[in-house]
Amino acid sequence: MIPMTSPPFAAGADRSTTRGWPVLLRLALRQDRVVAPVSIAVLVLMSVASAAATPGLYADEAARVHAASAINASPAIVALYGPVLDVTSVGELSMSKMTVLYAVFVAVLFIVLVRRHTRVEEESGRTELVGGTAVGRDAPLLATAAEVVLLAGVLGLLTAVGNALAGLEVVGSLAFGGVWAGTALVAAGIGAVAAQVSASARTCAAVAAGTVGLVFVLRAVGDTGPAWLSWTSPLGWNTQVRAYGDQRWWLLGCYPVLAVALLALAVALRARRDLGAGLVPARPGPATGSPRLADALALALRVHGTTLVLWTLGSAALGVLFGMIAPGIGDLLDSEVAQSVIDELGGALVAAILSIDAVALTYFAVTVVSHAGRDEQDGRAEVVLATATSRGRWFTASTVVALAGTAWLLVVTGIGLWVGYVAADGPGVGNLVVAALAWAPATWAVGALAVLSLAVRPRWTVLVWAWPGAFLVLALLGELLGLPSWLTGLSPYAHVPSVPAESWDWGSAAGLTAVAGAVLALAWSRFRVRDIG
Amino acid sequence: MIEVRNLVKTFGIFRALDGLDLTVQQGEVHGFLGPNGAGKSTTIRVLLGLLRADSGRVRLLGGDAWTDASALHRRLAYVPGDVSLWPNLSGGETVDLLIRMRGADPRASRRDELIERFALDPTKRGRAYSKGNRQKVALVAAFATDPELLILDEPTSGLDPLMEQVFNDCVGEHTARGATVLLSSHILSEVDRLADRVTIIREGRVVETGRISELRHLSRSRIVASLAGPAPGLAGTPGVHDLVVDGPQLSCTVDPEGLPVVLAALTAAGVTALTSTPPTLEELFLDAYRDRAGVRR
Repeated sequence: MIPMTSPPFAAGADRSTTRGWPVLLRLALRQDRVVAPVSIAVLVLMSVASAAATPGLYADEAARVHAASAINASPAIVALYGPVLDVTSVGELSMSKMTVLYAVFVAVLFIVLVRRHTRVEEESGRTELVGGTAVGRDAPLLATAAEVVLLAGVLGLLTAVGNALAGLEVVGSLAFGGVWAGTALVAAGIGAVAAQVSASARTCAAVAAGTVGLVFVLRAVGDTGPAWLSWTSPLGWNTQVRAYGDQRWWLLGCYPVLAVALLALAVALRARRDLGAGLVPARPGPATGSPRLADALALALRVHGTTLVLWTLGSAALGVLFGMIAPGIGDLLDSEVAQSVIDELGGALVAAILSIDAVALTYFAVTVVSHAGRDEQDGRAEVVLATATSRGRWFTASTVVALAGTAWLLVVTGIGLWVGYVAADGPGVGNLVVAALAWAPATWAVGALAVLSLAVRPRWTVLVWAWPGAFLVLALLGELLGLPSWLTGLSPYAHVPSVPAESWDWGSAAGLTAVAGAVLALAWSRFRVRDIG
Repeated sequence: MIEVRNLVKTFGIFRALDGLDLTVQQGEVHGFLGPNGAGKSTTIRVLLGLLRADSGRVRLLGGDAWTDASALHRRLAYVPGDVSLWPNLSGGETVDLLIRMRGADPRASRRDELIERFALDPTKRGRAYSKGNRQKVALVAAFATDPELLILDEPTSGLDPLMEQVFNDCVGEHTARGATVLLSSHILSEVDRLADRVTIIREGRVVETGRISELRHLSRSRIVASLAGPAPGLAGTPGVHDLVVDGPQLSCTVDPEGLPVVLAALTAAGVTALTSTPPTLEELFLDAYRDRAGVRR
């Protein structure tokens, strides 16, 4: 606990509903003292590494312009990164991945922070504890908003300073820092609204993630088709600010306006509901259990069923979208020059999409594994293990749902890509499901590491969440900074052949699967004998 | 049914259980008492094979608590003190799941009757239940079948007095058919009412164990008497403590060996009214701790 020495409220203070928020702000900062600085440092580091390394990749301005034009010529890359509006701008090319795609990670971080200080606190009953003290009803939300503004400012400022020190122009770097800070504010607003909708913290995460996905897709479609759609998406603004070109400063003002509007909406929704409840009253459940709901595996499927359905729909939609955008790839792959340019940008197009998708889908495994960790901490695992359910069955249930679920989502993505590709009359459509499944062994290896973390210590949930992100950062930094291959090779994702640009490699698939198996065996040998709880 | 010998369990440098012994005989309700942090829940978790003992012998239902865990769990039911439910499963689903996971069939169990007796709404989702109602879900699942052994860890926390009565009835029904119950509790009156024998632990060690009636012999009775004549000179009599004389009223506490002398003296003084209260479990409890802490009067 933080030392609450100073009296938080004046005696006989008003009946303000925001009373006491400074105390809660300090509490929130205390709770986030590790997660927030580390995440912000990683984000800034990625931006700075991009800023420092990208100009060196190209011999002269002509090569840069050529690369930027290649990006713009490829709908799939534009869909992922957004276009390069000024092909002569060093800054825009350097920030091509950062402007939109990595801004999504900024959004995710701020949604996570908002969710954990609002709905998670409420679901756990801690908000009730706070509400029983002399703290106003809206104080938790206001304190969270204050924390978000503070952290978004720090993130924006550090990114601006870092990019400028790395050699990009100062004014543009300030605008770019503003773009990331703005993204953070809007994401926090989305998180605050999502937290009001349902009584469940998981539904809050799903609503917020779905909204960010929608915002991303609107921009992707707009950037590759009807341009006005990009203007409806805050992530589209990120490109349109033209941070390293002819800056549209007024557009930077739109982020805080939207964020304040979302916060006001959240406050209004908050006033319409009871503490602990959602906007929609919870439907009553069945009075008896299905006979199939009788073992640990059925329980894991029941608990994660809704999540799996949502992920399946999301994977299918994104697959179809990118499949439809991808044709043109074929033409591009035929051109040797374009091929080499694209390789520099991170591999062939479908492979590039899949490499991002695979990391994202690994997070399905991560949610399942971290949920098992929370089951253990909260005592639900204890109740199950006090029945005839053995440790082996409990352990296997979560592992199977996590790893098989990820493989299933990869198949769905592959089918979606194929459907979109065929619908858009793409040439030479091949084995996109196989291409997607090529990533399964790598996701299993990372998922197995998540399982191992919890098998060693149930409280290592943060570590579980860190694995896929850490490997993504390692891959990006390795590419930008030319890190030695033994270091980048630590990431399982680095060993996946870029199917369909490269051919399927049984050796790497078998090797990664063997690594996953070995890590799981190690995890089991520890979990089998350790204390529960 | 339960046999624990010289059980040691450490967490890092903290010695949670320090040579604990516990014997529970078939068909008895065994009260398991101790202050917070004494090691009651740790002992129960070792019994359930959730924690691994550092040393000592832990047997229940004729098997080894660690190696035979899942086979033994078919024959017992467990209710934790702080029940956490799956947020999106209804209470009814949770009850049926737990019954099925013990290898029994909920449709052939007393679940419906118990849901009614405990006034539980089985259609609510796990996250919507209050603490008491979460406790009821676990109790219904435990009482619905006929396990040989019930392990109850502070099972009535959060229940209202009416529901405590239903709980007491349920324990009675299960012991009537021959089940064994290990009842860990803070509520001494509950243990007093239900238990045949008790074990009191403190800092991971047993300080007192035996039948409640036997334990009472070890402690004093409180006597209040109204006298017709002058009060007898009881001060200094062996086994008499806390003597207060207030006109015709006399009160004191008496060790068992001092009772004959005191009663004879009171009779001689012309006693007109006499109450003698046996020690409550609270007093046993406090006595046991005072012994340890060395502050006994």
